[in-house]
Amino acid sequence: MADVTLKNVRKSFGTFTALENLDIEIRSGEFVALLGPSGCGKSTTLRMLAGLEFPSAGEISIDGRVVNDVAPGKRDIAMVFQSYALYPHMTVGQNIAYPLRKRGVPKDERAAAVQKAAELLQLEPLLDRKPAQLSGGQQQRVALGRALVREPKVFLLDEPLSNLDAKLRSYMRAELIELHRRLGKTMVYVTHDQLEAMTMADRIAVMHGGRLQQFDTPDAVYNRPANRFVASFIGTPSMNQIEGTLAGDTFTRGAMTVPLDRARFAAEDGPCVMGVRPEAVTIGTGHVAATIRLVENTGHELIVSLALEDGTRLLSRVEAGRRLSIGQTVQITFEPDAIHLFAPEDDGARLNTDEDASVIPMRSH
Amino acid sequence: MTVATTNTPLLERQYARLGALLIAPTIVVFSLVIVYPLLAAIYLSLFSIYTPTLEGDFVGFANYWDLLSGREFWNSLRVTLVWTVGTLSLQIVLGVGMALLLHQNIWFRSLARSLVLFPYFLSTVVAVLVWRWLFNDLYGAMNHGLMQLGILDMPLDWLGSMPNAMIGVILVGAWKYFPFVVIAVLARLQTIPDHLYEAARIDGAGPIARFWDVTLPQLRSVLVVIILLRAIWDFKEFDLIYLLTGGGPVTSTQTLSLLVYQEAFALNQMGQAAAYSVGMMLVMLVFMLVYLRKTGGR
Ligand SMILES: Nc1ncnc2c1ncn2[C@@H]1O[C@H](COP(=O)(O)OP(=O)(O)OP(=O)(O)O)[C@@H](O)[C@H]1O
Ligand SMILES: [Mg+2]
Repeated sequence: MADVTLKNVRKSFGTFTALENLDIEIRSGEFVALLGPSGCGKSTTLRMLAGLEFPSAGEISIDGRVVNDVAPGKRDIAMVFQSYALYPHMTVGQNIAYPLRKRGVPKDERAAAVQKAAELLQLEPLLDRKPAQLSGGQQQRVALGRALVREPKVFLLDEPLSNLDAKLRSYMRAELIELHRRLGKTMVYVTHDQLEAMTMADRIAVMHGGRLQQFDTPDAVYNRPANRFVASFIGTPSMNQIEGTLAGDTFTRGAMTVPLDRARFAAEDGPCVMGVRPEAVTIGTGHVAATIRLVENTGHELIVSLALEDGTRLLSRVEAGRRLSIGQTVQITFEPDAIHLFAPEDDGARLNTDEDASVIPMRSH
Repeated sequence: MTVATTNTPLLERQYARLGALLIAPTIVVFSLVIVYPLLAAIYLSLFSIYTPTLEGDFVGFANYWDLLSGREFWNSLRVTLVWTVGTLSLQIVLGVGMALLLHQNIWFRSLARSLVLFPYFLSTVVAVLVWRWLFNDLYGAMNHGLMQLGILDMPLDWLGSMPNAMIGVILVGAWKYFPFVVIAVLARLQTIPDHLYEAARIDGAGPIARFWDVTLPQLRSVLVVIILLRAIWDFKEFDLIYLLTGGGPVTSTQTLSLLVYQEAFALNQMGQAAAYSVGMMLVMLVFMLVYLRKTGGR
């Protein structure tokens, strides 16, 4: 049974439609990330699950119960806000105990639960401090403690790590994964950071412009993006997308022709877009000529910016240590198994047939 | 580089001198308008002075002895405390309540926000005239209305008998000054982050719990300031009470300010009046110290 479902949900603010046709089924115990660019409606979705906003149409249910008209406090959910929203005048201990106090849990039980949460999150030495006396990471843990102390069915987290510095963020990421594994509770996690989504989530709901683009495992959204938006949004640097024409067994753009195995695509002859991830663009051999425009060294690899003869820009990722100089003309190849074709529209759907053929085997550089 | 390091102390000294220079005018004005009258009042209080001629003899602490042994000061102090506590608590309750109401998204919010300021802007003389007319025992609208509603069956002498006179004064004071509380509290309410309320809702707090656990703690600091200021102002209030009841019936609404005024200009005892006002100041000082001590630590 699905633990959290949104059925054909729409949300409008006045005349502005923030979300449309939203269908998401989240399984019990799953860690789901809502991922998308700013303003795509992630927070709105989460706030509707929390009961802080009400859907304009459609149905939201939690654990089989339709909760459209259920108050936030009665939904058996807990939420961690981006700003943490700790009660400033209460100590850490009182903050964590608050949801229990409001539910009439007796004092000694409360103390025991707070103690347990504090142990889990290593907050024991801080229990008597006020939120203003804590660092961002500590406040974040208190917010988590307040969320998990009463053991809700569902955790909702709205960009909980976005206020932290890079180091603390990666530490807390690991902590959260560990926490999810230990508690086994459903978690819905809003983020605009694909690294967070890819590393933490069981499944990722990629959103754009108020619509769900794809809802699948990190592996699938990376290797089998449903459309051009997902293809370009997931992955850094993002997938090369080259507009051109498909005719017979070749994809053509200007002077460049790329042989294709047509059996792999359900595309008809005509204009289409070829997508190739930078790691599937190999430099050295091949029959497409390109000029190197820029080489960025990230330490463990090089991001090479290439220009085709007609000026089309491409990115390639190659192992560090290769001798490549700017202005040099090289031959490139697109790994045939890693080629995607998309319909030419802006959000054109992916046209590959063989779902697994495009999975790139992890190459060790 | 070396120039900069050797120059820093000099620069700091120059800044310090500049700072002293800049606050000097304030200190001069402060001394003239606050310290001088204060010292003058203490000086006057040691004399027995006939107000019209401002002539008199040094009597030492006799005025203070009269203050301590006589009934007037203590009676007025009691009246002042009743008035201050009564009107201030009403102002706070009304003010906070109205601020909470105006903070809601109601359609007439902006209109109501300006209307609510009306009593505060109205001149005290005009306001008191209107209220005296409302309170009048013969043709007043108050009695008329209450009798129409069946709450009263006889016209009530609002300002001429006790405890009605005190209640009337307290009510008018609350009406006149609660907008100050509304404005200050409303300004603070608007800065409370929505996330706190949302978190509280998710944590299972109802509207009343949200008020006690989120709103009130956030209002604490502003309420401390409001209570401090309004307590000082109400304690010293003169015109409103003087115009409304003149301190009567007899002395039952005669606050310390009115007592000082009466002593100085009706009984022409300027020295005794000065002693009363020094006593009044000491009472206020005690209250302020206690208050600041209780709230200052946080
Ligand atoms: N209360 C509101 N009234 C009007 N429009 C709103 C309201 N809340 C959100 N919106 C609009 O709905 C859209 C989605 O907002 P939402 O906060 O869900 O975005 P988001 O995906 O969380 O973005 P971000 O990553 O920046 O937090 C935005 O265009 C926003 O302007
Ligand atoms: Mg958001």
